[in-house]
Amino acid sequence: MNRSTTTDVDRLLQRARDLRWQVGGSLHDHMAEAIYAEAARVADRAVTRPGQQPRFDWDRTLDRIVTSRLWGFPLMLLLFASVFWITIVGANFPSRWLASLLVDTLHPALKQLAAGLGSPGWLSGLLLDGAYLATAWVVSVMLPPMAIFFPLFTMLEDFGYLPRVAFNLDRLFQRAGAHGKQSLSMMMGFGCNAAGVVATRIIDSPRERLIAMITNNFALCNGRWPTQILIASIFIGATAPPVLAGLVSAAAVVGVALFGVVLSLVTSWGLSRTVLRGAVSTFSLELPPYRPPRLLQTLYTSLIDRTLYVLWRAIVFAAPAGVVIWLVANVSFGGSSLAEHIIRWLDPVGFLIGLNGVILLAYIIAIPANEIVIPTVLMLTVLTARLTGVGEGTGVMFELEDANHTRTLLLAGGWTVLTGVNLMLFSLLHNPCSTTIYTIYRESGSVKWTVVAALLPLAMGLVATFFVAQVWRLVAGFG
Amino acid sequence: MSPAPASLTTYDPLTALAAGLASLALLAWLFWPRRGLLAVWKRFRRASARVLKEDALKHLCKVEISGGSVSLTSLAGALQSSQNTAAAVIAELQDAGLIEAREGALRLTAEGRRYGLGIIRAHRIWERHLAEQTGVAEADWHELAEREEHRLSADQTEALAASLGHPTHDPHGDPIPTPDGEFVPHGGQPLGTFPVGQRVRVVHIEDEPESLYEQIVAEGIYPGQVIELTGMTNHSVGFLADGRPRQLTPVVAANISADLLARDAAIGAPPGPALPTLPPGEEGVVQLISPLCRGAERRRLLDLGVLPGTRIRAEMRSPGGDPTAYRVRDSLIALRRDQARHVHLRPAGTTA
Repeated sequence: MNRSTTTDVDRLLQRARDLRWQVGGSLHDHMAEAIYAEAARVADRAVTRPGQQPRFDWDRTLDRIVTSRLWGFPLMLLLFASVFWITIVGANFPSRWLASLLVDTLHPALKQLAAGLGSPGWLSGLLLDGAYLATAWVVSVMLPPMAIFFPLFTMLEDFGYLPRVAFNLDRLFQRAGAHGKQSLSMMMGFGCNAAGVVATRIIDSPRERLIAMITNNFALCNGRWPTQILIASIFIGATAPPVLAGLVSAAAVVGVALFGVVLSLVTSWGLSRTVLRGAVSTFSLELPPYRPPRLLQTLYTSLIDRTLYVLWRAIVFAAPAGVVIWLVANVSFGGSSLAEHIIRWLDPVGFLIGLNGVILLAYIIAIPANEIVIPTVLMLTVLTARLTGVGEGTGVMFELEDANHTRTLLLAGGWTVLTGVNLMLFSLLHNPCSTTIYTIYRESGSVKWTVVAALLPLAMGLVATFFVAQVWRLVAGFG
Repeated sequence: MSPAPASLTTYDPLTALAAGLASLALLAWLFWPRRGLLAVWKRFRRASARVLKEDALKHLCKVEISGGSVSLTSLAGALQSSQNTAAAVIAELQDAGLIEAREGALRLTAEGRRYGLGIIRAHRIWERHLAEQTGVAEADWHELAEREEHRLSADQTEALAASLGHPTHDPHGDPIPTPDGEFVPHGGQPLGTFPVGQRVRVVHIEDEPESLYEQIVAEGIYPGQVIELTGMTNHSVGFLADGRPRQLTPVVAANISADLLARDAAIGAPPGPALPTLPPGEEGVVQLISPLCRGAERRRLLDLGVLPGTRIRAEMRSPGGDPTAYRVRDSLIALRRDQARHVHLRPAGTTA
């Protein structure tokens, strides 16, 4: 390369450097805008649109109604109340049928078969009383409501109604630093938190999506409704006159669920103002045109993508938990089982927060699924109170047909109204089940936020139950 | 009530309640954001010897650029430390050969200037990063960059600059020195020096001190904005910005620099009304997206097809009053008010 070209190149580079300062900082924006504008121009020229449709615009009319000040909220409440009602009523029968098949019929049959084959007691205990029973329990409690709730929900989604709900509720969530679509992932969370966490994919702003994931656990999932209903009818309903008992316990359960919604908004508010301050946030909400729902496709996607996906994960976690549950009850040293040792050790902590060691141990070993907390609690209560004549044997989870029998059993285990109230609180406010925790990890890809999502509700639960217990004992008198 | 377990013989709910409240108070005292003991301790640790040294070099560079001279008092002020500390820092810098005393004044050596400009480069690139790639509020940019400039290595700074497309200016309009230490000053004059009636373009906003900067941010002033001076008294400087009259005290206005619209006068047209003023059922044409809308937020609007010249129609408002659904290119999109306010419409009656 000869000398003169080198100086030419240098001069050119110098000129380019000088010009860089002159064009200033907004060059990139101008370029981007020009590219978009050019794309729009090309599209406008190339795409022909059919002439003005003679339209009585269905979409517009429907939108006016479902987002109107007068009809927007009542319509929304009506639709969701119906979805929940259909789910609860519709799931009742298949749940009972599955339970009688898997737990009451198949389980003893399998036990008999194992005995006939001459397998040792510990092996059938471990596999049948532990792994099989836990899995059967999760399937029979979890499958029917999800198989009803998710298709209904997907149908509303497919029709195009759900984005309008997000549109109506966005103001509320905006004040909490969240996205209106969080209302939808929360609604999904009432079915199952793991599915709710997956549903946060619809939120495209990173910060708001993380908030929705962390707070999804405050939506009372379908595995916790039975616990709430049972405890409310045993302890809260019983404090009211018999005529009102049903109403009072129903109000208590709905109250806990609403408290969860309030907490999820408050927590969103706190997160967006502290640890998530400054994370990227871009709001946008597309309101797609209404479409007639495609029934078969809806059924297929909601069953495969949501129901079976969640169910499979729950089973994967439930089977080993069943083994652990059977083991802690059956491995013993020093004259009492491992479970009794742990419960004695947990009792002081449990007492301080108005619960007891049995409940805490049940929440620790039943972490894979909230569905098996109550069966585990009952089994452990029988074990520690050394009751005879109830239950199915050491380490075998069970449930009682009659709520009154459950009540008698729990009172024998030393439960009070305070225990009931705090169990309801703790059932709302504790770490998500392991399926949900794993899903949060998969969706967020971050260990840090998974730990926050797991421990934040637990800490809130411990604080809440602690203070309720102390105030309760002060007011009601202790001893 | 069930009795307390044997291990809790001294249990009494009142004591437990008091202990619980005390622990909550202790946790709050330790971890409260910004004011807790942990936050204070972190801030304290940052004021290390290296940070003081680098801040001093930065101050010397800035003074050299503006053509002033450095005194012990001004340096102590810039470092927010005592004069003793400032004197110690100067001695240390002299020992390291980064500054020298010449003709009775402190001057940077070539090495010192390179070091100082590197810190300024890191600071301004970090501010740009905060503006474009995060959702951090504008008023917090400077303070965060003050912290980060000491942590970024040269390689990290260059990687960040590359990811930002090698920006030339920080979001306040300050030039970012190149890795070789080259830069062209913004060349603007304080707002108060222009005659009333003059149309000028904002080229720079001083981000220190914070209280004054916050007032400027609150008025929505940004570099590149065209404003028209409307009145000047001893107590206030009045001007039109984005078609709205604003007033600032002379002290605040002195922190805004502007230049004449010599180079391209075409951008002189003031922006029309903002999108949220469009009543439902009415249609408008997008004129521009305000430069205050940056980074991901701006790209999202472009992605949705909100471009200069796009027809946009307000369809309906949420029963909560916000957001509003707009019809853009045959799709219905809901935007919140604080996004839509960055979109300006052509004033009614104009066609261009």
